[in-house]
Amino acid sequence: MPKQPASNLSAYLSHELRNALACIHQFGNILVDGLAGELTGEQREYVSIMLENASRIRSVLDSALDGVPDPPEKCTTKI
Amino acid sequence: MANKKILIVDDDPDVLQGMHVRLKANRYDICLAVDTFSGVAEARRSEPDLILLDLGLPAGGGFLVMERLKMIPSLAIIPVIVVSARDGLGNQKRAFDAGAKAFLQKPVDDNQLLAVIRQALGEPAGTKKPTLYDQRAV
Repeated sequence: MPKQPASNLSAYLSHELRNALACIHQFGNILVDGLAGELTGEQREYVSIMLENASRIRSVLDSALDGVPDPPEKCTTKI
Repeated sequence: MANKKILIVDDDPDVLQGMHVRLKANRYDICLAVDTFSGVAEARRSEPDLILLDLGLPAGGGFLVMERLKMIPSLAIIPVIVVSARDGLGNQKRAFDAGAKAFLQKPVDDNQLLAVIRQALGEPAGTKKPTLYDQRAV
């Protein structure tokens, strides 16, 4: 990890962890949805547990780095 | 009817691959770019129906991509959805001011992403396109 000024540390951590979590969610859901082939019930259960725990990490991240457990504006459109 | 074409611009190869698989499974044609210059160049070359744009890109960044697109009339009309790991507070407003149709903070829920894409493309909200697995099962 490159050295970061203290003021940028939380933004850096948030950015890097969110990117990593995005990949975990993306590929976990690809497996659960059968896009890479059908899983057995047991395999699906294990990947689901992995995804649930990734969601827990996201909640911790939101709470620790954004200051609130569930920010109200995760998606906003003006279409 | 031809599939809609989506350009994904992100410097993380894993994010690109994951989005590629998900969107391809929903019958979108996909093109990819990994930085600011290739994002604009690929938009010019392929003229996509929609662009998914990361903000933290090498050689300028997502805001510069939007600025460049605006300068080319044929590309200025392409809807842009920002998908970024950056803090949404300041970047969201800046993205909307730059012309983005939506701002999504990573990690993004797949259903949410697909819903926003369909909305931006003017597709019916309830349209559920078959996945690759569904197609094999037919």
